[in-house]
Amino acid sequence: MLSLQILANGLVLGGLYACIAAGFSLVWGVLNVINILHGSFIVLGGYLAYYAYAQFGIHPFVSILIAAPLFFALGYILQRSLINRMIAAPVLLTLSLTFGLDLMLSNGMLVAFTADFKKLTLDPPLGVLNLGGIALPVDRLFAMVLALALTGLLYLLLSRSRIGRAIVAVRMDREAAALMGVNVKRIYAVTFGLGALMAGASGPLLAMIFPISPLSGPVYLGKAFVICVLGGLGSVPGAMIGGLALGVVESFGALWFGPEHAITLSFTLLILMLLFRPTGLLGRTGYA
Amino acid sequence: MAEPLLSIKGVHAGYGDVPVLWGVDLAIERGEIACLVGSNGAGKTTLMRTISGLVRATAGSIAFDGAELAAAEPDAVLAAGIAHVPEGRRLFSAMSIRDNLLMGAYLRRDGAAAVEADLKKMYAMFPILAQRQEQDAGTLSGGEQQMCAIARGLMGAPKMLLIDELSLGLAPAVVDQLCDALRALNREGLTLLVVEQDVATALEIAKHAFVMDTGRITRSGESAALANDPAIREAYLGSL
Repeated sequence: MLSLQILANGLVLGGLYACIAAGFSLVWGVLNVINILHGSFIVLGGYLAYYAYAQFGIHPFVSILIAAPLFFALGYILQRSLINRMIAAPVLLTLSLTFGLDLMLSNGMLVAFTADFKKLTLDPPLGVLNLGGIALPVDRLFAMVLALALTGLLYLLLSRSRIGRAIVAVRMDREAAALMGVNVKRIYAVTFGLGALMAGASGPLLAMIFPISPLSGPVYLGKAFVICVLGGLGSVPGAMIGGLALGVVESFGALWFGPEHAITLSFTLLILMLLFRPTGLLGRTGYA
Repeated sequence: MAEPLLSIKGVHAGYGDVPVLWGVDLAIERGEIACLVGSNGAGKTTLMRTISGLVRATAGSIAFDGAELAAAEPDAVLAAGIAHVPEGRRLFSAMSIRDNLLMGAYLRRDGAAAVEADLKKMYAMFPILAQRQEQDAGTLSGGEQQMCAIARGLMGAPKMLLIDELSLGLAPAVVDQLCDALRALNREGLTLLVVEQDVATALEIAKHAFVMDTGRITRSGESAALANDPAIREAYLGSL
């Protein structure tokens, strides 16, 4: 029974992880840009939800709808105005650029919100669902369902829509996509916007579960890295599998080795994957 | 003679500081099949890429159907009516054949029904593509990939199709089938410019031929005349 409970906890956490990683993986896969900003976008989305709830009583689930277009616009403009200028540069240079932008954003958040942890606590709480002895906090359950739904929507967008096909085409062969009439720079901006949207929208979900602090950005970023390596880069199903796997591993790891070793465990996993299966659990599929 | 559909005058282009084209002049009549031949490194592919906007012309003009395209981006060139089937096919290999064809129609704004009708046409022309439409393009054989690449180009509903290296690496029977398909398309009014390393094949399907050497057009004329030219025969056909 205990292991079922741990498994359930892990899957709930993993659903959120999938959502964190999907946008990061998309940007990395399509643009070959390692977006260090991703973690801070998540935190910023969390603050948005926190203040929307504290000031205006807007439920975090509703905040997602506010965060999504805002973060898409932020990502789109950032890519169009700055990152597109050096998109052809080696990956370490774009990494430096997003690293610098992240320093500005995370320090800006430190100034604006202080380093104190803030906790979004729903009042009244949603309670706990008891499924045959397995206790599932309803807020976490909803957050996971929404996270998986968002990730699923991203997958549908990439595999079924015209713009999604263009994103996938650019990922596979930028020049051939240009010959099809795809405006590659615009697709880059849309892709970065989608990555930011996924980060900003997962912020409110995480804010319901974890305390919010500007210092959490790197933690989320680290998770996104591990999940990309676990699931395989640039694929939504990969992020889904990698996220769920990491959630379950961390849950059981916390049980067996203590929660203080969760990060050690996940990076050990990362190194093992890089050594033995660098293409990820799903291999390099490339599609969506 | 009527105004040519594509008229290229004094085009220079290259990669970075390395010039490849040194003043290319070339004119393609509306409704003809023309071919461009020449040795490796002559600049044929660069010329194709310059026409389609992947490489920017540093000088000269590219007039197509009344529009100036020398400074145009690839999407504007396609919108003007030139589709480019690139060297090496460059299919989206992990995408289904159907999605590859739909990518060809990316810019079209004439509605899903028209695109669907053109898909049917492509499947009728190359039935193997219909049978395997849900499979990844990377699973196709070389000849089938070339069919898919040509069909993908046609899905953009172009007035003119550029094909870079039609027969490279393909079996003779497949090349014959592709040539038949191109002639049929041409009879329906499509203008074609084919880059071809197999000069015999090129001169056989094309009405006009252009010979390229070190970044310039060095010879041009009716294919039949060039095929009988001793210098061409010696340089490219390997027999006298």
